[in-house]
Amino acid sequence: MNDDAELLERIRNGAPDDFAAIVRRHQARVFAILHRYERDAHKVEDLAQETFVKVWRALDQFDGRAPFEHWLSKIAVRVALDHLRREKRRQNEVGLPELGDDALDWLRSDDEKSGLDGRAAAELLDLAMRELSPLDRVVITMQEIEGRSVKEICAATGASGVAVRVRALRARGKLRRALEKLMKGENEQTQAEPTV
Amino acid sequence: MNKRKLNQLFELARNEPVPAPPEDFAADVLRAIHREPRAAAPEALSIFDQLNLLFPRIAFAAATVIVLCVAADWGLTAAGMPGLSDGVSQISAQWLLTPDEFRL
Repeated sequence: MNDDAELLERIRNGAPDDFAAIVRRHQARVFAILHRYERDAHKVEDLAQETFVKVWRALDQFDGRAPFEHWLSKIAVRVALDHLRREKRRQNEVGLPELGDDALDWLRSDDEKSGLDGRAAAELLDLAMRELSPLDRVVITMQEIEGRSVKEICAATGASGVAVRVRALRARGKLRRALEKLMKGENEQTQAEPTV
Repeated sequence: MNKRKLNQLFELARNEPVPAPPEDFAADVLRAIHREPRAAAPEALSIFDQLNLLFPRIAFAAATVIVLCVAADWGLTAAGMPGLSDGVSQISAQWLLTPDEFRL
């Protein structure tokens, strides 16, 4: 019996405070998953809390056949998906944030070795991924950034293997077009600005 | 945007440092779950709740008894025998309201 199983058993037998140990053990993983879909640290914290509350509510449904962290990751991905759907509706009302200079320079540059730090790259991807549907975004993020297998993506999203492959392919195409659009849009904006 | 550049962007984003959870995050989660207890924990049912749950069965049993009584009464009357209502009035007359009790 592993540590998670022992802790879960104690929680089920009426020691709810032991849930804090579960949270401490897995919080980094949950934050890492959610951070791929939300840049705001406060919102990530809220989403992480929502994830653990959902885990708590559904604890009796965990049968222990798969590792606890897989089950937890699945719930975190579902929370992220719901969040993306809510944000998609809100995005239509408030518009998109602006692209940073570093990212814009990198996009314009033909030199593929030119530097772009991880944070700027993630911001650029975040902006481009807003063109994708929430499910497409989750699929491409899990596959390309988290390095998950198709089977794992199927388990987390509930989509079939074929649907995941098709979505991933389509999402890559959309993402490339979105990045080209961003580059073009920013160029047009720069050209339109009067030079002093 | 070529394929290689997109892959490079994924690679760069993969290396982004993840923000660490706040120190008291686990305590916050615990406070949140204490505010809403797990739905799975069964609560003891009061007698009224139990009656409420049993109400459809009780109502059905009562309706069945009434229908049986009416049918029996109708059947006995049709057969020329004293009906149930006659029997009940006879019993009440004999047991409850005996004529001797009112005699002075």
